[in-house]
Amino acid sequence: MPRATTSDWSQEVDDLARGLGGGMLFGIPLVYTMEVWWLGGTTRAPHMLAALLVTFVPIALLIHTAGFRRDEDTRPSDALMDAVEAVALGVVAAGLLLLVLGEIGPGTPLAETTGKLVYEGVPFAIGVAVARHILGGSRTADDDGSSTARTPGQATLADLGATLVGAVFVAFNIAPTDEIPMLASSATFPSLLSVVVLSVAASYVIVFVAGFGDQPSRRGQEGLFQHPMTETVSAYLVALLSAAAMLWFFQRIEGPVLSAATFTQVLLLGLPAAVGGAAGRLAV
Amino acid sequence: MTKRSRASAEWVTFGASLAVLGAIVAVIIALWVRGEDPAQVAVHQDGVRTASNGTYLVDASVTNEGDVTAANVQVMATLTIGDATEEAEQVVDFVAGGEEEALVFVFQDDPAEGELELVVASFADP
Repeated sequence: MPRATTSDWSQEVDDLARGLGGGMLFGIPLVYTMEVWWLGGTTRAPHMLAALLVTFVPIALLIHTAGFRRDEDTRPSDALMDAVEAVALGVVAAGLLLLVLGEIGPGTPLAETTGKLVYEGVPFAIGVAVARHILGGSRTADDDGSSTARTPGQATLADLGATLVGAVFVAFNIAPTDEIPMLASSATFPSLLSVVVLSVAASYVIVFVAGFGDQPSRRGQEGLFQHPMTETVSAYLVALLSAAAMLWFFQRIEGPVLSAATFTQVLLLGLPAAVGGAAGRLAV
Repeated sequence: MTKRSRASAEWVTFGASLAVLGAIVAVIIALWVRGEDPAQVAVHQDGVRTASNGTYLVDASVTNEGDVTAANVQVMATLTIGDATEEAEQVVDFVAGGEEEALVFVFQDDPAEGELELVVASFADP
């Protein structure tokens, strides 16, 4: 076996980040669905095993046609190996999100934790398996591959608009559901802080790590969103504002607007909004 | 299209992934082999607090000592003081095997002055 070079590792990290981004985009709506938590808690072991094995087949097929790596899997053995990685990545990412949202923890019975990891991990794995298609966009190049010259003002406006569109696209379905107040009622300060860190990290990874080779041009883009960190933080603020607007639209904000309860709900909806916003910016 | 070769970085990821999946499958098989005891739901009283509005809050916990999840667990609390009875009721959506859920019952009278009975009235096997 040849030794891994730095560029091998760098490409591997990019590939995994792309997979993680795709998984988040596809899996987050189901992480915010209480029926799936219940399914995880009530499913018995033989059914869990069957669910895991049966979904492995479509995931391997999706990997073969789409995948999450820069290079296409042309051999069935590569697709199978990547499918194993996709499911593992899905389980780990779903587990991390469930942990941050307080749906699993040290006190959760093993059977319930395992069931939730299986049922939440599979949608993530499907997202990982199609990540190259959904996150393959390059926002600086047009369809014909040429770059459009934009003024800094236009670039900022395009980024803001794309973040909003992406945030609404993913979080609008989640905003009116009971899961947000439910999760908010059991949220703690450390868990909310983790939600913020995860939202910003996911947004950064999707835009600046998961894309295809145009990171230098993306980093060099003009506009108010110039520096990657500035862009990520500004986009997160836009995601939070859009989350607040969506909660207001569906009349989910009860009591005083400037309260801890409202703020908690905005932060919780901010996670899917930030992930959607990041994917939206890739598409512009 | 040329076939790509797996870099050793990819083999490391594959190994780690295989370990994660192997662990999940091993746990599922262990749960399967161990078998499942039917749900055994019980309720315990944990203490009584006084609320600022003068009502009494009875803390209780409902536990499931079995393995199978119990659904729609109906817990009844009855406070008897002399001839008067005061009832409170709660339904917990799910109590998984080994799980404990905290409940609070609200009474107008002090439970210390009478007899408080907590029972699990019913639950469903989902």
